[in-house]
Amino acid sequence: MIKFDNVSKRYADGQEALSNISFEVSHGEFAFITGHSGAGKSTLLKLILAMETPSSGQLIANGVNLNRVSTTQIARHRRQIGTVFQDHQLLHDRTVYDNVALPLEICGYQPNDAARRVRAALDKVGLLNKEKSFPEALSGGEQQRVGIARAVVNRPSIILADEPTGNLDPGLSAEVIRVFQQFQSVGVCLLVASHDAALIERLNCRKIVLEGGKLRADQKPRPKA
Amino acid sequence: MSATKRNNDNPNQPRVNRNTRAGQSGSFGDLFKLHRRIAKVSAIRLLQTPASSLVTLFVFAVALLLPALLLSLNSNLASLLAGFQDSAQITLYLQDSVSEAEGQEVSDDLLTRNDIEGAYYVSPSQALDEFGASNGLEDLLIEMTANPLPGAIVLTPLDVSSSAADELARQLQELSQVDVVRVDSLWLQRLAAISNLVNAIGSVLAVIVIFGLFLVVGNTIKLAIENRKAEILVIKLIGGSDMYAARPFLYTGLLYGLGGGILATLLQGIVLATFNSNLEVLMRLYESDFQLRGFGLMSSQLIIVAGAVIGWTAALLASLRHIRAINP
Repeated sequence: MIKFDNVSKRYADGQEALSNISFEVSHGEFAFITGHSGAGKSTLLKLILAMETPSSGQLIANGVNLNRVSTTQIARHRRQIGTVFQDHQLLHDRTVYDNVALPLEICGYQPNDAARRVRAALDKVGLLNKEKSFPEALSGGEQQRVGIARAVVNRPSIILADEPTGNLDPGLSAEVIRVFQQFQSVGVCLLVASHDAALIERLNCRKIVLEGGKLRADQKPRPKA
Repeated sequence: MSATKRNNDNPNQPRVNRNTRAGQSGSFGDLFKLHRRIAKVSAIRLLQTPASSLVTLFVFAVALLLPALLLSLNSNLASLLAGFQDSAQITLYLQDSVSEAEGQEVSDDLLTRNDIEGAYYVSPSQALDEFGASNGLEDLLIEMTANPLPGAIVLTPLDVSSSAADELARQLQELSQVDVVRVDSLWLQRLAAISNLVNAIGSVLAVIVIFGLFLVVGNTIKLAIENRKAEILVIKLIGGSDMYAARPFLYTGLLYGLGGGILATLLQGIVLATFNSNLEVLMRLYESDFQLRGFGLMSSQLIIVAGAVIGWTAALLASLRHIRAINP
């Protein structure tokens, strides 16, 4: 599903954000990426989203070779990925409902069908009563959950999340993780960048550790007792 | 949608999008609803900045009005010309040796031809009197000892087309009494040339105006895109194509074009009404009931459609160029 093969990313100023990264995440797998800030987590997610192209090595996600993609292919590729951004990336002049409906509108869903899916997604993150609000009227945690609803509304085959539980209290974090796990169980591949060591430990998921742009460890989940 | 297709083609991929096809809009009605909604959003955005929208609208209208006025002036000139067509004249200047009686006889003979509608003889002395009267040179003429002017016959051909008039002139040149034949259509040709010139100026102006409108709309769209850069970034991040992001801006261009075209036809009506009251005085002096005509319904529609096409195309070029440059 996502395959990094000796991927390096060097920026124009010579800074090497990632060097020789190789790993693979397959369908139905839930993996955390951890590491200190500046370790390369965000660059890694940007590469998968085709916001950046690898300097060397090969990166394939969802069957698309991301070393060589056209603008049209990039748009199509991103429609298959649900992304939860650290800074939410919500549209402030649209309601919560319209924000969540945006991926469906881009894919050309019928309004009735879209409405059903938007409400289902908002229900999953517990924001059904806020659908008419504007993002600015919501707390940071609520905005984050709108972002999560938008990421899952289109039933993507890959979900990427950058610190999705950063602004949430433990109860809501657990709720969001439960939503992610539902998608994992239907074969969606999840890649979540997080600092939340306690959460990662508790969930017993695969853990990919980055340090200074290098792959420090790739820990598989402990076998269930 | 390709997303569904890819999933179906590849059995290794989870079929999480299996309902996608059913959920997507295929019918014309849904597409219409979607576009109506985007058009509404574009219109609301224009109304949110009424002053600058109005300025752009007026720029559009005035720019369309200039070539449109010239072209309508020309079509008026052409119809005026058509009214003068049947006044083509041929003047036969007779040899000095031809006497007045002989000249009158030649004139009467010509009247029997079936390709000549009218003919009258102007004797040398009549010609001298008319010349003096029309130029105010009577005093000079009194000084003259001999009349330098020849006798002449003024003809109105039955067929007033210039080729028929030329052919008739060629035949009449053969007559022994005739010295010089002049087909009196030069002033008509001059007017026609002026009409062509006005037409050419109108066309060149139209090209310049279209170019200018592309710049104006391009700049307006560029600013609008700058203002909504954050939104375009988000749309691109979640898989919206450049064309999807461009849609509202295409409607902006279309609305400017339509509005500008409608405003141009209204302004033209006002301009022509102003001209007509002045023209009426002039035309009364010429004993004519000629009136300036507007674009007419067809031409008004043409102006509006042209405005819409220019607005939309300019917006398309500008928005795709600037949206392509925005990358997350």
